[in-house]
Amino acid sequence: MAKEEVAGKKSVQVLEKIREHLEKLNEKIEIMIELQKHDRKDVQPTFTDAPLDVMTLLSMPDHLRKTAMTVCRLGRATADEVAEQTKRARAVESAYLNQLVIMGHLKKERNGRKAYFFVDRENQER
Amino acid sequence: MGKIVAVHSYKGGTGKTLLSINLAATLAKHGKKVCLFDLDFRAPSLATLLKIDKADYWLNDYLNGVCEINKVLIDMSNRINDSGSLCVGLANPSTEAIRDMSAKDRKWEMRALGRLLALRASLLNEKHYDYLVFDTSPGLQYSSINAIVSADLVLVATTFDRSDVDGTKRMLRELYDLFEKKTEIVLNKVLDGSLKSDKDEAKNRLKDVYQVPLLGIVPCFCDVLKAEGGLIFAQDKPGHPFTKIIEEMTGKIENLG
Repeated sequence: MAKEEVAGKKSVQVLEKIREHLEKLNEKIEIMIELQKHDRKDVQPTFTDAPLDVMTLLSMPDHLRKTAMTVCRLGRATADEVAEQTKRARAVESAYLNQLVIMGHLKKERNGRKAYFFVDRENQER
Repeated sequence: MGKIVAVHSYKGGTGKTLLSINLAATLAKHGKKVCLFDLDFRAPSLATLLKIDKADYWLNDYLNGVCEINKVLIDMSNRINDSGSLCVGLANPSTEAIRDMSAKDRKWEMRALGRLLALRASLLNEKHYDYLVFDTSPGLQYSSINAIVSADLVLVATTFDRSDVDGTKRMLRELYDLFEKKTEIVLNKVLDGSLKSDKDEAKNRLKDVYQVPLLGIVPCFCDVLKAEGGLIFAQDKPGHPFTKIIEEMTGKIENLG
């Protein structure tokens, strides 16, 4: 009985891991679709910290500025919370938020099933 | 829920500080809990105008992460004879501080934006302030754009000067529109003659030029110039026509929702 319970728990853990990986894959696909759709040459992946200052906000394409401004205002937010403010679809905001992460302007943190996006102001290299 | 009002302009000398002080004082006289901030770090003026020689901490210190905002605030409620309260947060007027603030980099400005945005939680939500009024520096520079981004409402002080009109128009289109800011125009220093000819026509012309609502028109008052910045008209000259215009504009702001 105890062995069965342990095996059951392990299966759940494996399934959880698979679900997490699938979600990550899904986000990456969303980004790729978005990038292809707009053929965005202005969204260059940097993978490094890029300060989200007001001049950067000003030079962003309109659709990304709206998302970035909303995260600035909310401090820390999920794609759902951003979508609620911008009145755009969650999937669209999720793609824009992940673009901003790739560009180095936002940081992403997972807490259970939820992914939170935020501007990492204090920990950026001084 | 309180509001952040930023007072900005394209050019200097358009009356931002005069407008900010009197707006903050009038809101306080209406019983509101108000805090006025000097965000013009390149040419601080509130400390002089409010006759405050020393401060333990300046707004510079808060933005530098040296202290929390409550250390910066100076209670000025004794200057207001009504039920409201008025605090100020001052920019350090020393040359060294001005030089220091002029040399900040993008990352510092990003953190400064974060600290300005955090005032919404610390002062509006937790301390229940009704209004934060930001007196900014003119033109497109970091400190003023940070203030604009943090604000709920931007008042743009402008004059009939042609370069000001042109620059203000550009700024409205290329800055405020991009940030989707609620904006109102205050036309200042209007000569009496141009007002008498046709006030309504002037109002319509302004709306056509700027495409944003007009909060008010302020004539050029010799009394204001004669006071040399030593009076808070809203408090010290309650019956003055300038005070009445400020009253009207404040009423409109309170009703903006």
